[in-house]
Amino acid sequence: MSDRLTRRDLARLLGAGVLAGAAHGRPAGRPGTVGVAPLAPADGAGVSAAEASAAVSAAVAAATGAASGEAAAVGLFSPADTVGIKLSCLAGRPLSPRREIVEALVRLISAAGVPGERIIVFERSSRELGRAGLPLRRTGGPYLCYGIDNDYDRLPSDSGAIGSCFARLVSTECTALVSVGVVKDHDLAGVSAGLKNWYGVIHNPNKYHDNNCDPYVADVVNHPFIRAKLRLTVLDGVIAQYQGGPAYRARYIFPLNRVVASTDPVAADAWAWRVLDDERRNRGLPSLTEAKRPPRFIATAARYGLGVGDPSQVKEVVA
Amino acid sequence: MSTELTRRRLVVLSAAGAASLAVPGRLGAGGVLRVGKPVSSDELPVREASWYRKLPESRVECQLCPRGCQVADAERGSCGVRENRGGTYYTLVYGLACTVHIDPIEKKPFFHVLPGKTALSYATAGCNVECKFCQNWEISQFRPEQVKSWWLPPKELANLARRMGTPLTAATYSEPVVFWEYVRDAAHAARNAGLYPTVVSNGYIQEKPLRDVLPLLSAYKVDLKSFRERFYKELVRGELKPVLKTLETARAAGAWVEIVVLIVPTWNDSEAEARDLARWVKTNLGPDVPIHLTRFHPTYRLTDLPPTPVATLERLWEVVRAEGLHFVYLGNVPGHPGENTTCPGCGAILIRRLGYRILDNRLKQGHCPTCGRGIPGVWS
Repeated sequence: MSDRLTRRDLARLLGAGVLAGAAHGRPAGRPGTVGVAPLAPADGAGVSAAEASAAVSAAVAAATGAASGEAAAVGLFSPADTVGIKLSCLAGRPLSPRREIVEALVRLISAAGVPGERIIVFERSSRELGRAGLPLRRTGGPYLCYGIDNDYDRLPSDSGAIGSCFARLVSTECTALVSVGVVKDHDLAGVSAGLKNWYGVIHNPNKYHDNNCDPYVADVVNHPFIRAKLRLTVLDGVIAQYQGGPAYRARYIFPLNRVVASTDPVAADAWAWRVLDDERRNRGLPSLTEAKRPPRFIATAARYGLGVGDPSQVKEVVA
Repeated sequence: MSTELTRRRLVVLSAAGAASLAVPGRLGAGGVLRVGKPVSSDELPVREASWYRKLPESRVECQLCPRGCQVADAERGSCGVRENRGGTYYTLVYGLACTVHIDPIEKKPFFHVLPGKTALSYATAGCNVECKFCQNWEISQFRPEQVKSWWLPPKELANLARRMGTPLTAATYSEPVVFWEYVRDAAHAARNAGLYPTVVSNGYIQEKPLRDVLPLLSAYKVDLKSFRERFYKELVRGELKPVLKTLETARAAGAWVEIVVLIVPTWNDSEAEARDLARWVKTNLGPDVPIHLTRFHPTYRLTDLPPTPVATLERLWEVVRAEGLHFVYLGNVPGHPGENTTCPGCGAILIRRLGYRILDNRLKQGHCPTCGRGIPGVWS
């Protein structure tokens, strides 16, 4: 159980994150680049495992410039890693990352040599995972899947304006992290995609929704527990929600028909912001900024050096 | 389980999931009090909140505390214990006690309320502010599904207090504002059982819910964190003005009010601030409202400061008394003369204390036995 973060801990974490990647030939990533692959449900409902697998692989390859998703995964993950895949399941099954996409990602990570018992799909609670249609298990299978539930560090750790107990999965157990979110409007934050997903790993996210969640979202992601380990962001953009979030509201859903991947977590959110604002404009709605919920935390995250936050500067590589 | 648990130890144990709560010196074998069955996070009972309004698009606005959270569907307010489900706002902590303990009333602290008596003290998870020096952050800064709780509805709480022989109840430890419906109904049940319900709060509450509950209370203690907005902004994530308004409202409504100020080194330990505070209290609440100046100990997110020097407390004690307040106490300094109650008329010591213990109570039906002056408080 980790306690308060010391300077020595910080150095160790940063060193582990950077050096492990370098030793494994991990690519530096492509700041400001998002890989986008088409993924449209054939029957208007679900997507097949094969379709999801092809789309995720293509998006990850496009994001990294690798020849394939598998090749990209080999660069991103080491067989020695314990990989935590954080899902965003608050909106329930209709607007959570679909299982087919999660399992496609798991297959890529497995292809990098990470064994199933060290691939952990997780959310804030097991109940949310179950509601989203994920198979709960703590042993066996191609990956583990369970909630943080109450397994937090014993003492809080500060990062900028936040002070929180982090999930032990993130602080202690995992050596690599992936954010798997959706593309949706958020009543206070403006955008809920890959960055805000990390609110789910602290014990007190309810304290940090003032001022459009700024700088709090960026502060959470900037904590070494996440910053030093975050390798990839994947967004399930088969459908998206341009208004009324974060809960699922059927009348505000639109088909986006895409899977998005990026090694730049800020660029992924900036891309989502652009997409949502485009959709809002097309429907005659004010932009998120005009609606008084600008996702300021994206620019703050960029200022922290976490990635590219200007939507106009994000390069979309279509697979 | 030891029968010599401190409050802090008990809180940690209860939050960590102990199946029962210890009540030192009050019980039979083992000193263990069973307070009902633990409630798992998957079966948290919910109850519609009493103070909120509905907004378009299934959103709600909480009208309980000055924060006035506007909460979207599936989200919670800043307190973490109230949730919007499809446009209806629910409290997730009604009747769900995560800590129950029997304390001396002096521990709250109330020094003018039934001295030497005990209070069945209870709390749920959650708080509407985030004090970086919170002593009970293990429950106040967590959501209800993150702590072990027990189903203890208001009538059972009152019955438990009667069975245990405690004349008082106290909503305390975390922040009663966030479980205000429970406080209201528990106070009502306590009244019906012939008990004295009290509340220990940060006072960060809107006027309507405050007025709805004040008539049910025998005493109301407010943690006035500081007399400076900067302190509230940087260390509390709250505001001073609404708390001052609460104090005025409570006093004007005739409630017995005591004030606690935790003196945090370098933050609120200046003589100028103490003087401003004392003058405001005297002018707006009157000189008879007791003020407890208590000693800070480093904890939670404020661990880089030393405990408050006793000399600092003594200096501020003199400053506040010099402004004409009649009952100024020092807290967390056991054995200090500042723990005693003295008659503002003749200077006689009326109640001698050592920590939470009453060594001598010379009050005669609420009056000084030497000069006959009436001493304000709840004495019987």
